[in-house]
Amino acid sequence: MKNIYLIISREYLERVRKKSFIVVTLLMPLLMIGLMIAPTLMMLYSGSDLKRIAVIDRSGIVASELVSSAEVEFVREEQLTKDEACRIYNNDSDIFGVLYIGSDIESRDSVQLITNSSSSLMLEENIAGQISAIVEREKLRRYNIDNLETILAEVETHIDLSTYVNDGTGDETTMESTSSGVSYILGIALGMLLYMVIILYGQMVLTSVVEEKASRVIDVMVTSCSPFALMMGKILGIAAVALTQIAIWAALIISASKFLLPSLLLADGAAAGDMMLSAAMGTLGNTGYLASLFAYVALFLIGGFLLYASLYAAAGSAVDSVQDGQQFNSVIMLPIILSMIIMMSVFNDPNSPLAFWASIVPLTSPIVMITRIPFGIPGWEIALSVVLLYATFVATTWLASKVFRVGIFMHGKRPSWSDLWQWVRMK
Amino acid sequence: MDSILKIENVSKSYTGHKALDDVSLEVPRGAVYGLLGPNGAGKTTLIRVITRITIADSGRVLLDGKPLTGGDVFKIGYMPEERGLYKKMRVGEQALFFARLKGLTKQEAEHRLRRWFERLAIADWWERKVEDLSKGMAQKVQFIATVVHEPKLLIFDEPFSGFDPINANLLKEEILGLRDRGATIIFSTHNMASVEEICDHITLINKSHNILSGPVDQIRRSAGGNNFEVVHRADDSTLSAALAERAIIVGESHNIIGGYRESKIYIPRDEDVKRVIAALNDNCGLRSLREVMPSMNDIFIRAVNGTL
Repeated sequence: MKNIYLIISREYLERVRKKSFIVVTLLMPLLMIGLMIAPTLMMLYSGSDLKRIAVIDRSGIVASELVSSAEVEFVREEQLTKDEACRIYNNDSDIFGVLYIGSDIESRDSVQLITNSSSSLMLEENIAGQISAIVEREKLRRYNIDNLETILAEVETHIDLSTYVNDGTGDETTMESTSSGVSYILGIALGMLLYMVIILYGQMVLTSVVEEKASRVIDVMVTSCSPFALMMGKILGIAAVALTQIAIWAALIISASKFLLPSLLLADGAAAGDMMLSAAMGTLGNTGYLASLFAYVALFLIGGFLLYASLYAAAGSAVDSVQDGQQFNSVIMLPIILSMIIMMSVFNDPNSPLAFWASIVPLTSPIVMITRIPFGIPGWEIALSVVLLYATFVATTWLASKVFRVGIFMHGKRPSWSDLWQWVRMK
Repeated sequence: MDSILKIENVSKSYTGHKALDDVSLEVPRGAVYGLLGPNGAGKTTLIRVITRITIADSGRVLLDGKPLTGGDVFKIGYMPEERGLYKKMRVGEQALFFARLKGLTKQEAEHRLRRWFERLAIADWWERKVEDLSKGMAQKVQFIATVVHEPKLLIFDEPFSGFDPINANLLKEEILGLRDRGATIIFSTHNMASVEEICDHITLINKSHNILSGPVDQIRRSAGGNNFEVVHRADDSTLSAALAERAIIVGESHNIIGGYRESKIYIPRDEDVKRVIAALNDNCGLRSLREVMPSMNDIFIRAVNGTL
């Protein structure tokens, strides 16, 4: 046991002290924040270019009602015909395009936008939206209804759908409130996190074993400790590195949720009025919920990683170079990729039979289950999944150690699957 | 004989190649035991069988009279030929890691390592990274990592390769020092000079077979025991007449200073050396006669060529 501890700490320290580890750990959250903010920034800055549109209105009801904004300015043209306007407002003018509105607005091809360069979807939606609103209002006005404005304001309706998970009490104050949107995003994020950790750190185990073999340190190691201690030391050491990295990220996110989000919520939350955003803010601002989520992440991440790492260790022990390891690597990757595909179907129905079974069967369970958890899953399902996952980890580790024990001393010929099976059965 | 390690009829085959064929040998406690043989003879395979890195197809390895088990291996200090050190680690840290794996406490390991680093004049390298070391430097670190826990049995595979003569000498002295403090040392080599200087027992392995085993002086005596160097005043015909049937001249004779000649003669084992001396004294003006011991190098070459 003392030797396993020594090997764990050696593997752990070697990796954690690397500059690349520190850089990646600190830069990753910044990169993620950058990725989240970038689209907003891009929208803000790409939309700031003011477009001037010349409006020729033959219907006589639209032009006066069009409202200019920061993106688009409407300029009324009383005198020109469409052809003249097109000739004058060519590329050289400061006019972006000509909006022609025929006398019968609702007939085909009656409303035309002729621009000098391709217009944007936002601009087209803005113009079409304004015109149809203007025409709708005009039509309503023709009914000659008194107090139309008041009536319209009165009938305008906004529904706020609150969703809860039934806990059988009928008292929604004790029920857990849900938001499919937030669950969806959390599910994707957590599923991706597990996927990345299992693949990246799993392959790190493979590389580490292969390097140990290639550098011949293995000869010294196996006359100093048992192959099992060496294998477990490597797996657990690298697991500790993964956990350290995630713990740092979790600490950053939780502290952000505790100190940063409340002030952001005060500033914009009320004004935003965006349901999903405020629900997301609410979820992320719930530090207790986040902490329990991280506990589940840790549980499935450790289980999933250990399960796959033991397979990667066995594969690494059987080959002489990382390239040779690809043969086994691609097979190990199969269930991981399958998990990702199933994960996508989880979002349609988190409780479908496929989602249920995939989150119980150990090879796919870590990624699929962690994707389902934000949607609210019965405790017994999680418990069953965890128990099966860890039991399978014990079984694969036992198998892997048998392969490892023989494989690390084999040099030369790349072993076949039947060779591996023989090694497992060797006494 | 009190033997620490006994190898009985060990065979090991790889696909299409027999690395060890029915090899037996016995290593006396407290010996410096040389495993000799040309490249590819099976020395390293034998060592890997002893350290249980390779499992023999048949035969037994006994340590202190009991079959070797997995746990016993941890009591052996083993330095493989292809040196294995973690390249990214610092030298001191790495030596500490191996010492602690072998069961030393951190304080004890650090204390002993510092002393060893002083002795081998590498104290300044404690903080250096392994990848910055030259081959010889890395060898010294590996040597220390192998011996620091003071095992009863030490196995070195080609310990002198990669060392300059000064450092090879330093290493030889340390190996003899370890023996004096009670360790048994097995090492493989094809450097015969080192064998004559430090081995007291050898086994010569050639083409997977043990072809010669035993104490070094005994082997040398038996391999060359009947060759003598004679210094005398006679010419070749007088000499050969004087020797008559009792001995034969081997090779050329030649003149040396003071009017003497030097000849090599072979006296068969059943002949009485005293009678030969008497005959030479009477007829040839004998000045000296001494037994010539062949060098290990000669024995090695003759044994490998099957002319011993």
